[in-house]
Amino acid sequence: MTSEKGNNLARVIAEDDLGEKFAADPRLGELSQKRIGDQLRAMYDDLVQQPVPDRFKDLLAELEGKGRGTEK
Amino acid sequence: MTLEPDLRDALLAAVPSLRAFAISLSGQVDRADDLVQDTLLRALSNIHRFEPGTNLNAWLFTILRNLFHSEYRKRRREVEDPDGSYAGRLTVQPEQGSKLDFEDFRTALAKLPHDQREALLLVGASGFSYEEAAEICGCAVGTIKSRVNRARFRLASVLRVDAEADLGPDSMTRAALQSSR
Repeated sequence: MTSEKGNNLARVIAEDDLGEKFAADPRLGELSQKRIGDQLRAMYDDLVQQPVPDRFKDLLAELEGKGRGTEK
Repeated sequence: MTLEPDLRDALLAAVPSLRAFAISLSGQVDRADDLVQDTLLRALSNIHRFEPGTNLNAWLFTILRNLFHSEYRKRRREVEDPDGSYAGRLTVQPEQGSKLDFEDFRTALAKLPHDQREALLLVGASGFSYEEAAEICGCAVGTIKSRVNRARFRLASVLRVDAEADLGPDSMTRAALQSSR
C-alpha cells in the first residue's frame, strides 16, 4: 500500500512536470519568431542610435579632471 | 579615482547600448539615464575588479541589471505594484528622431514579466550569447533560453504577429509555406 501511494505520487509529479514543460516552452513559428526579432532589433537600434546626452560626457570629463587633480 | 582616457572612451562608447538596455528595461528615459549614470559611477569605483581583456560591456550590463533589480525591489515595496506594471507606464517618448511605430512594440515589451524582458533584450537585441546573458543575470543558460522563448511567444500573441494567419490557419499550408521559403 505504501508503495502504491508512492507510485501515485510519482505519477502526479511526472504529469505536473510535463504540463509545466509544455507551458514553459510554447512553440512559435519561424516566421513569427523572425518578425518579433526584426521588430525588437529595429526598436532597439533606434534607441542605440540616439545621441548621447551631454550629462554623460560631462560626468566622465569631470571624473577625468578629478583624477588628474588628485594625481598632482 | 583616476580615470584614464582609454577607459573614459570605452565607457563613453558603452553608453548608447547601456541606455538602450536601460530604457527598454525600465520603460522610462529619465529613470534609464539615472540608471546609466549610477552604472558608470559604480563601475568606476569598482574598476579594480574588472579583469582587463574580458568583455567590458557584459560587465557594465551586469552592474546596470543589478542596480535595476535592487531599485525595482525597493520600489515594489514602496509602491503597491506586485505585478510590476509600473514598468508598463510608457509615458516618455525617447528624444527626437524616434519613430512612433515602435509604440505598440514597446507597450507589448513592457507587459512582459521583467525576467523575460531582460533575457530577450540581452539575447535578442543587445547581441549577447545565451551564455553571456546567463552570466549577466546570474542564472543557468537553460533558464535564459526558456525565458527568451516565452518572451517571444508572449510578444507574438500580444502583437498578434501571426505571420501565417493572413493565409489561413491551416497548419499544412503554414508548413508548406515555411518549407518553400
